[in-house]
Amino acid sequence: MTWTCDLVEARLSDYLEGLLQGPERAEFEAHANSCVDCAPLVASVRSLVGEMHVMEDFEAPPRLVYSILDKTLGPREAVTGWQGFLNAIRGLATPKFAYGAASVMATLFMVLGASGFSLRKAKLADLRPAAIYQTADRGAHRVLARSVKYVSDLRVVYEIQSRLRQDENNLQSTPEDLLPKSGPEKNPGQTDDHKPSQPRQQNRANEASRQLEMLAAAWPLLSERSVR
Amino acid sequence: MRRHTRRIYNICYRFTGNRTEAEDLSQDVFLRVYRTLGSYRSAHGGFATWATSVTRNLLIDHYRRTKRDRITDSLDDKMPVVENKEASGRRPDEQALLGELSAQVQSALTRLSPELREAVILRDLQQLEYAEIQTVLAVPEGTVKSRINRGRIELARILQQMGVRPA
Repeated sequence: MTWTCDLVEARLSDYLEGLLQGPERAEFEAHANSCVDCAPLVASVRSLVGEMHVMEDFEAPPRLVYSILDKTLGPREAVTGWQGFLNAIRGLATPKFAYGAASVMATLFMVLGASGFSLRKAKLADLRPAAIYQTADRGAHRVLARSVKYVSDLRVVYEIQSRLRQDENNLQSTPEDLLPKSGPEKNPGQTDDHKPSQPRQQNRANEASRQLEMLAAAWPLLSERSVR
Repeated sequence: MRRHTRRIYNICYRFTGNRTEAEDLSQDVFLRVYRTLGSYRSAHGGFATWATSVTRNLLIDHYRRTKRDRITDSLDDKMPVVENKEASGRRPDEQALLGELSAQVQSALTRLSPELREAVILRDLQQLEYAEIQTVLAVPEGTVKSRINRGRIELARILQQMGVRPA
């Protein structure tokens, strides 16, 4: 078959949609590729069809559906009064809305609590910006002061503990003949709360060390009680 | 219903090139479908095909009614691209959304004759099969293929005249 430009134009869509097979297709391509008129035509139509196939649909106007419903089923009756109110809030009765509302209320309560607003003795004056600022400023300074005191107390405790350990080490390394001997009115090694196998001074030092350690451990509690 | 509304609206908009007319025609289509639902038979094809037929018939009726009010095709050919875009009544933000080529294709479609225009819209923009288009247009399949082919070639030539080269 001899392909002419008219025939190529007439069978162009068949070619683009793959309806030409085998020798027919080859002959079509042979003419289309070599003809100065048909080559650009085939290319432009192929490109155009490809573009149109991927073009997106337009979104219909949102009110169109309601207009159609009004025209076909008739306009919706306007509901007033309590029924209208109930219909309106019925749309809000969803779990998502409930979770959102609960989150908002919780956030609001937390913010109000942090700002110093008392729910038991609620006063409108507490919501003034100046009052909120002063409460927040007071709270911030209080927290800062407690933090500084806590860190300072830690330093004191650390220093006491390190001194005690130092003293223990010194006592353990002191030779026995340098230690003071017990008096004649007491039996050697007999003191209150001591172990007979240890010298008296060593026991006194141990006792003092234990008491200081207890004091150091209880120091944060004591300081916290004094602040309260 | 939203799915059908969107499809019918797109066919109407692509055919008329005018948002307001497309909305009015879409409502008329659904009104006609609602009133004649009793006459629908599955032998006429699926519901979507039947609704598309109703749409096409209303579009042709609308085209014939408004033919006298439109500028003739011969004058349209002489109008430059910019004026043609303004005559379609699209807003600048709508233009951006459409995409330049889509807008130009839309502009070129309105220059096609109604028979070729509806064939190209149904095949290339709505991706209907030949058998479906045959049912909608109520013409033989050979006529459908011929109209689609001529419509595509004509559309490509109009776009070439407008200085548009599809990628």
